[in-house]
Amino acid sequence: MATDTFDNIDWDDQDVSSFSLSRETVAELLVYGAIVVTFLYDHYVLQNEGPLIGSWDVLSVEWLFAGTIVAMFFHGVLPLYQNPRMRGFYWKRFKQNRVAVFAAGFLVLVFFTGLIGPLVLEPPEVRFTNRIRPPVGITATIGGVAKTGTWKFPLGTTGKGQSILKLIVYGMRVSMQVGLISTVFTVVIGSVVGAVAALATAMDIGWLDEVLMRYVDVQSVFPSFLLLLLLVYLFGAKLWLIIMVYSFLSWEGVARTVRGEALQRSSEAYITAALASGADMMYVVRRHLIPNSANSVIISATILVPGFILGEAALAFLGFSDPTVYSWGRTISNGQSNLASAWWITTLPGIFLFLTVLSFYYVGEALRDAMDPRQQIEQGGGL
Amino acid sequence: MKWYIAKRLLWTFVVAWIALSLTFGLLAASPNQGQMRATMSCAAVGENPEECREDFRERNNLDQPVTERYMNYMVNMVTLNWGWADSRSQYVIPAILSAWPYTAQYAIPVLLISTVVGYGLGLYSAYKPYTKTDYLASFVGFFGISIPNFWFALLLIILLGVPLDFIPTFYNSGVPAQQGWFSIANLKQLIIPMFVLLTASLAFQMRYCRAQAIEQMNQEFVKVAKAKGADDYRLMIWHVLRMAAVPLSTSFVGQLLAIFWSGSVIIEQIFAIPGLGLMSFTALVEQDTPLILGTSLIGVLLAIVGNLLEDIAYVVLDPRIDYGDR
Repeated sequence: MATDTFDNIDWDDQDVSSFSLSRETVAELLVYGAIVVTFLYDHYVLQNEGPLIGSWDVLSVEWLFAGTIVAMFFHGVLPLYQNPRMRGFYWKRFKQNRVAVFAAGFLVLVFFTGLIGPLVLEPPEVRFTNRIRPPVGITATIGGVAKTGTWKFPLGTTGKGQSILKLIVYGMRVSMQVGLISTVFTVVIGSVVGAVAALATAMDIGWLDEVLMRYVDVQSVFPSFLLLLLLVYLFGAKLWLIIMVYSFLSWEGVARTVRGEALQRSSEAYITAALASGADMMYVVRRHLIPNSANSVIISATILVPGFILGEAALAFLGFSDPTVYSWGRTISNGQSNLASAWWITTLPGIFLFLTVLSFYYVGEALRDAMDPRQQIEQGGGL
Repeated sequence: MKWYIAKRLLWTFVVAWIALSLTFGLLAASPNQGQMRATMSCAAVGENPEECREDFRERNNLDQPVTERYMNYMVNMVTLNWGWADSRSQYVIPAILSAWPYTAQYAIPVLLISTVVGYGLGLYSAYKPYTKTDYLASFVGFFGISIPNFWFALLLIILLGVPLDFIPTFYNSGVPAQQGWFSIANLKQLIIPMFVLLTASLAFQMRYCRAQAIEQMNQEFVKVAKAKGADDYRLMIWHVLRMAAVPLSTSFVGQLLAIFWSGSVIIEQIFAIPGLGLMSFTALVEQDTPLILGTSLIGVLLAIVGNLLEDIAYVVLDPRIDYGDR
């Protein structure tokens, strides 16, 4: 009807729902559904007996990793792709920090090598005939025998004869899994708790906010590394257990951030406007409060990733790691007994661990500068 | 203010009670390692495993109802009757008492140095942000946070210890007993462990202080102070640091303890320092449940007390905070 104006609409006829699903959300939910269905198929029909796809036997953590990649795609890559203006703005500010650009490049490399490498390369096998070989171009005396590195093992081998190159590539996947899965879980739990706490205050359910934030206090007091050691002792070292413990014990920072941001925003005019035009509380939270605190959440999340990676490596170094998983920490620990004669066993995986963690910190710093509109970015950046 | 502190104190006891109960719940709900071992060792010598299991349960009071065990556990914890540590043939409390000086001798200096130097560098960085010195400080900070301390320790052993043979690469626990805690020889063997631990905690303090101080630099009261002619030194220390110390103090204990606990287990394991970290590590490896419990609870109690101090520092440092109804 062309004659519809504000005052002649019969508002009782209008049945407008504030609940709507965008195409992207539907696609995202479908992909999650597909992952769950394949998981159930693998779990109940194949009973984890044989490999699922080709020779690839998908294990517990890989399912979570698949979900994480989907979440990152729909909430990171896709919005940036769809919004060129925002992308341009962030990129312009991000590239001011030249070191961070290199760091981001390195992380992309590590991510894809870790993703694809283990599909192409056979797992590193234990061969006592290949024990301790130096990297290419290096001659070393081990146990009285002079050995020179060959191209068969470009980065040398460990005391068990495993190729260090393969261990590094497999370790990339483990590090990315630990860092990214835990962070996604942390962000989800923290955002929900923070938003609920803020919402409770806004709706005068003060006790709920008090209970939630008191719990957050208790959790932030708990030394999670100790609890992790205790849980690993009680239930055995499984990678998914380590990831879950990190996820469920580290969200308090995100929750505090989201709550603080949401409380600050909830008194702003556009929230009042949204409420006045009939939006319900859920809609306000979903459409206004969470997206508007996204920047601070992303900033605190980028600091979480390297922390998780370091923590897992430290656990693995101490020997509390999943024996089926090729963690960098374990390789470094294996080289501890050959420290004097074969320095490369501890040094090479350590360099990758160090660079990965360092890159995450640099990228996080540059992201903070790029996303915080209060920051004035001047020339230079980095070093 | 007294009322506020009393309330916080009460809250501390509540948290301690929750922590103890949670630990009990975890131990009660999990598979019992000792019971499994007892059953297996019986089966190995050909006895009836079922009988041994009953026997073990009876000896460890596992046949009592959960409520009674919980009561006993709580009474034992409060009266410091923390049980017998098999791996050290010693009661848990004396074991902890004999181990803590080895940890304190490097932990306390590292804590002091990292706080003083870290805050100093952080303030200096915040004073002139986005300059060459700030970038250099940033790099040092990121380097310190990022370098895995277990790897760094091994690297230093390779680089310094092995070829130079000047600094001992392993801790000799006889030295403090023979030559005293403050002897040169003891200091020499603590240099590498302290340096490794210092990189992480100093960098953390520095980054955090810088972020908080920059936040404060834009506040009105800093401009007022500057307009009234406060010199840079007074401005940074008296106005900026004091205000930045409020948010700093609220995460100080938790974050630092996290670095320390993971750090001390690793450092003491690598350098064989017989402190609390190594003790909890060996307790875990040898599955000595009372000792694991004891060392973990020490960490939790330290964290709880630290949090109490933080809460008190919070109101002492910032006179603007209204603690009347908190």
